[in-house]
Amino acid sequence: MLEAVFWIVFPIFLATSPWILSGIGTFIYQPKKKQQLLVREQASAQRGDVLSTLSKPLSGKEVKQTQLVLANVVMSPSWIQILIGGILSLFGGEINVFTKMVDWSRREAKQRLREEVEASDFDEVINMRLETTIMTKTKGGKDKTTGVEILAYGTAIKY
Amino acid sequence: MQPQVNIPFSNTETIPGVTIVQSMGVVTGSTVRAKNVFKDIGAGLKNMVGGELRAYTELLQESRNEALYRMLVDAQARGANAVVNVRFATSSVAGGAAELLAYGTAVVIQ
Repeated sequence: MLEAVFWIVFPIFLATSPWILSGIGTFIYQPKKKQQLLVREQASAQRGDVLSTLSKPLSGKEVKQTQLVLANVVMSPSWIQILIGGILSLFGGEINVFTKMVDWSRREAKQRLREEVEASDFDEVINMRLETTIMTKTKGGKDKTTGVEILAYGTAIKY
Repeated sequence: MQPQVNIPFSNTETIPGVTIVQSMGVVTGSTVRAKNVFKDIGAGLKNMVGGELRAYTELLQESRNEALYRMLVDAQARGANAVVNVRFATSSVAGGAAELLAYGTAVVIQ
């Protein structure tokens, strides 16, 4: 009897285990990472934001030294998010799960740029640009999205 | 880590504090790279959970530095001593390989 139950439960467990893992990733791991990012962002915000998209520094001070700085991140949605996104795209409108994910990766890339500048002896980043690339892999003749790459780059300046 | 070419480059139209004397045309540098198959499998598993794919982040970082380096070598070969208005473009070629392109205008500064 017990053996029969085992042979029913075990295949079900095997089939669903990736989805359980994906659920843990989506609802426990990802919020934790986002919380960590929020803490880092707040720490940077207290010192004042160093990023700007202007091509000249607003303060108009004389610039002594410049250097190109780069920061990038590759983020991927989880299986559950892809599934939810697929269902939502049937109805059209905003696909909330992907909006949140791309927004998260962009914040992460910007935060890395900030941290890189704060670690070096530069004062500010001007002319910051963001670039997005979709990474795909080909599987069975179909292109599947594996993740998005966000690149944030700009010119670090020293007064 | 590749050897460094020691010329200034920036993504602004001018480098603050210096005068541009002459333009030497557009310089480019590109590279196509892939991670090994084990890292690809690892990234495939991480895909399930979502979040950052660290292997690919590193891959793109390394390749972008390589592309930048090639661009600077190109600029130096043309006799320029700075590169301004640097831009990046990325496209993913099938199978986990990515093409990174860096381009900009080579100039002579004083």
